[in-house]
Amino acid sequence: METTSTLLSWIIFTPAFLGVLTLFSPSSLEGQLRKFALFQTLVSAVLAIIMYAGFSGQEAGFQFTQTVPWLPDWGINYIVGIDGISLPLVMLTAFVAPLAILGTWPDLSHGGELKLEKFFVAILMFLQSGMYGTFLAVDVFLFYFFWEVVLIPMFFLIGIWGGKERIYATVKFFLYTMVGSLLMLVAIFWLVRETQLQTGVLSASLESIAMLRFAFDDSSLWAALQSPQALLFLAFALAFVIKVPMVPFHTWLPDAHVQAPTVGSVFLAAVLLKLGTYGLMRIAIPLFPEAAHYFSTMFITLGVIGIIYGAFCALAQSDFKKLVAYSSVSHMGYIVVGLFSFNKIAIAGSLYQMINHGISAGGLFLIVGFLYERLHTRNLNEFGGLSKIVPVMAIAFMIMTLSSVALPGSNGFVGEFPILLGSFQTHPLMVLFAGSGVILGAVYALKAYQLVMLGPVTRTDLGDLHDLNLREVIAMSVLTLFVFGIGFFPKTFFGKSDATLNTYADTLIQKVGSP
Amino acid sequence: MTLMEIFPLDNLSSGAYVSLLPLILLSFGAILSLLVGTHKTRGHGNAFISSGVVLGLCLVLLGVNAGAEATVLLNGTLVIDSFTRTLSFFACSFALISVIITRGIDLKENLLSEVYALILFSTAGMILMMSTNHLLFMFIALEIMSLAVYVMVAMRRTSYFSAEAGLKYFILGGLGSAFLLYGSSLIFGATGSFDLPTINEAITSRTPTAIYYVGLGLVLTSMLFKVGAVPFHGWVPDVYQGAATNVTAFMSAGVKFTAFMALARIAQYTIFAEGVPFMQWFESYIWLVAAASMIYGNFVAISQNEIKRMLSFSTIAHTGYLLLGLYAMKMGPEAGQSVIVYLFFYALSSLGAFAIIAQFESGNEKDLRIDQIAGMGLRHPVMGACLTIFLLSMAGIPLTSGFIGKYGLFNTAVNAGQVPLVVIAVLTSVVSVYYYLRVIVYIYMKEPEGDQAIFQNMRGAGIAATLSAAATVQFGLFPRAILELVKHLGK
Repeated sequence: METTSTLLSWIIFTPAFLGVLTLFSPSSLEGQLRKFALFQTLVSAVLAIIMYAGFSGQEAGFQFTQTVPWLPDWGINYIVGIDGISLPLVMLTAFVAPLAILGTWPDLSHGGELKLEKFFVAILMFLQSGMYGTFLAVDVFLFYFFWEVVLIPMFFLIGIWGGKERIYATVKFFLYTMVGSLLMLVAIFWLVRETQLQTGVLSASLESIAMLRFAFDDSSLWAALQSPQALLFLAFALAFVIKVPMVPFHTWLPDAHVQAPTVGSVFLAAVLLKLGTYGLMRIAIPLFPEAAHYFSTMFITLGVIGIIYGAFCALAQSDFKKLVAYSSVSHMGYIVVGLFSFNKIAIAGSLYQMINHGISAGGLFLIVGFLYERLHTRNLNEFGGLSKIVPVMAIAFMIMTLSSVALPGSNGFVGEFPILLGSFQTHPLMVLFAGSGVILGAVYALKAYQLVMLGPVTRTDLGDLHDLNLREVIAMSVLTLFVFGIGFFPKTFFGKSDATLNTYADTLIQKVGSP
Repeated sequence: MTLMEIFPLDNLSSGAYVSLLPLILLSFGAILSLLVGTHKTRGHGNAFISSGVVLGLCLVLLGVNAGAEATVLLNGTLVIDSFTRTLSFFACSFALISVIITRGIDLKENLLSEVYALILFSTAGMILMMSTNHLLFMFIALEIMSLAVYVMVAMRRTSYFSAEAGLKYFILGGLGSAFLLYGSSLIFGATGSFDLPTINEAITSRTPTAIYYVGLGLVLTSMLFKVGAVPFHGWVPDVYQGAATNVTAFMSAGVKFTAFMALARIAQYTIFAEGVPFMQWFESYIWLVAAASMIYGNFVAISQNEIKRMLSFSTIAHTGYLLLGLYAMKMGPEAGQSVIVYLFFYALSSLGAFAIIAQFESGNEKDLRIDQIAGMGLRHPVMGACLTIFLLSMAGIPLTSGFIGKYGLFNTAVNAGQVPLVVIAVLTSVVSVYYYLRVIVYIYMKEPEGDQAIFQNMRGAGIAATLSAAATVQFGLFPRAILELVKHLGK
């Protein structure tokens, strides 16, 4: 589409602009800041809905594109656009943000009083700008720019408002991501140079890079590893799988999750991890298809190991938050398997799973937050029988658990089933193992539910345990709506992505020449 | 042979005078601020005002005159064109910021009012050094610049460290200058000229003798010493730490910038001359020095607890990155643009960071430790935010100009086919992220405990830091102005 629209730029920069306003707001408004944060997320959501309404589901290319020369000497332009792959992810961000703020008001997950409230609210807004920017960038450099920008607010969010070990966790998070992304940066230099050599035009836009051919030699592993395409692919893929996180690069995640404040955990699980899989789907796999196909078995194996290993780790946790964190490792493994299976159904399933995991993990982290705020513990053995005291919370928790274990009728099923179905056609043995992850997933999720909600009330000190209040109910019911809405009517929610996904999968499969 | 025959300076056109005016202004301004600085009570203020005004005038003059015709004096020895005028503009702006930072420290550290005059003298040396193609002239300019800096380093009269640093820098610096002089004389012996373009012609037209290579090695070594590259870095930490913080700021911005420009100029005419045998040995020399500087600087900076010492090791690492950019100049002088941009952005963050450190120092023997600024972001939000921006910029994180500088530098290096060296640079930058983050962790995330640094507001340093931070973010988002400016210099 040739028309230029500034709508996407509004979506990206509105939060950042309001964030700057927040930083310079007078301190007499301190008490109103959270309402302002909610206002900002609602404005972003409205903008996103306007964009969704205008999005045409019939077209496969980028829509609402806007191009502004930024650093023309280096071939770098500010290009944003949206297609069927980024559309659901942007909508996810737009909906998760207000719910996260509603569900964590005030965020006291680690300690009595919220310090530096102004900074806290501003950071949340910058974080959203970074996430929107990463999803909407159609220029590799711009993508990298926003990818890195996301790191800074998250670093402060965990580091200032986190738990006891927050500094260790946040520095680990930052450095892990940095190692990957700096190698990605070198790969970007190479890409830009290749573009100039092959097409004569200095450009870093995805469309011009997609036209390049990179030499790939698959005669032996050594030859493959030395060919440019494999090196580029591995540099990008490493950055992305660290973010996903795929085993064995996952160790930052449990630390970051446990130490982060609830709102940070929700953003981390629901959106930030998707940056990794989105990167794989948008850049690493389609730009370097032969290399991706060559290494696909390795990635699928690691993905399956992640599914099973994550599930076992979750099973062994007594810390509720750590359990949800490891369940993320497990669930994100499915997405990696789906993306690398080079099968149409599985690729679509991967995209659905990204959204669904965002909803279920976000919801579960909110539940953990509710419990911690009321009882000041996350130890599963210190709960028990709470369903009798907080029935509404128990229902919300049940719904999120069912979504997480992929019960048919819930959104989780819509994601995991196609992944397993599709990948079975290319890698049957691996899927056999992956399928066992579904069972393990049910075991740890239901175990957590049982320990918290069922059985006799063992806890003597119930503190100020009370049921969900109105704003928490609103947050959870919107999530519930999505759980069952996607579960029963997936077409309504993902219909606009079909055209893009079809073209994407067809081109990809045609390029690697496998069924 | 009289002096007039060597340097024929009889008829100068009015254009030439205008071109030389910044140098003349700086020299007279320095003498003026020496004189007005002798006032018993208001000496420091007078010297501050006069040196600030002189530098401001120079900036205006250089800015207005930037596009004017090139002035070539002394048979091509001194070339003042739009390129050198812009470099001089940068040098003067660094000097001006240093002067502003100095106001306030001068009384706290008990510096004499002559410090302002010394900054001006040194700046005159810098302009001269960046405008000449003549090795002997370069030596003289280097001495003008360095002698002033030696004195400034040793100026904290109550501090033993400062005296030690001054002596160390003076002796080692003298050795470095001797290398330059001896090397130049050997090159003169081999090629018959001190003039770099003539030397370039001589070595490309016929194979130079062994003496030339020895001379070139000595010259390069002396320049690598001045920029503080491994293994000639020994003086850097001690001098940076021992000197008063305003002097450290001035050195990390101005002296480094000048020395690098001179090194680039020499390298362009000698190492990267086409078709000269054995030049790959010198390329490998630069390669090794670059890699060693990046690795050594970054790894040693991790274990430092004093913030000035940490920054001094990090500056060694930045020298390594810059040498990487210099190495890319074998693809053509355009690669030098990214070096200039990087140096400019680095100087901005470095000046700003030292301006903030200066306000937290106690003014006695002890240096500011990182744990002494714990919780600074909560108590002094503006200064905390500025220091954070500077550190992120040095680490090369997007939104700050440091990222743009680093991107440009690494980009040119990849274009020059230096992927292995870039990978080393990138991996060591991860290490650097760790120690920069460590300071940010203290600024925002640690509870203050033990003896804490006391903030003494110095208006000048505060304003300088805030403006540098604003510029750092501004150029991080919209760097086009600087990139275009440097691009049009056309070397």
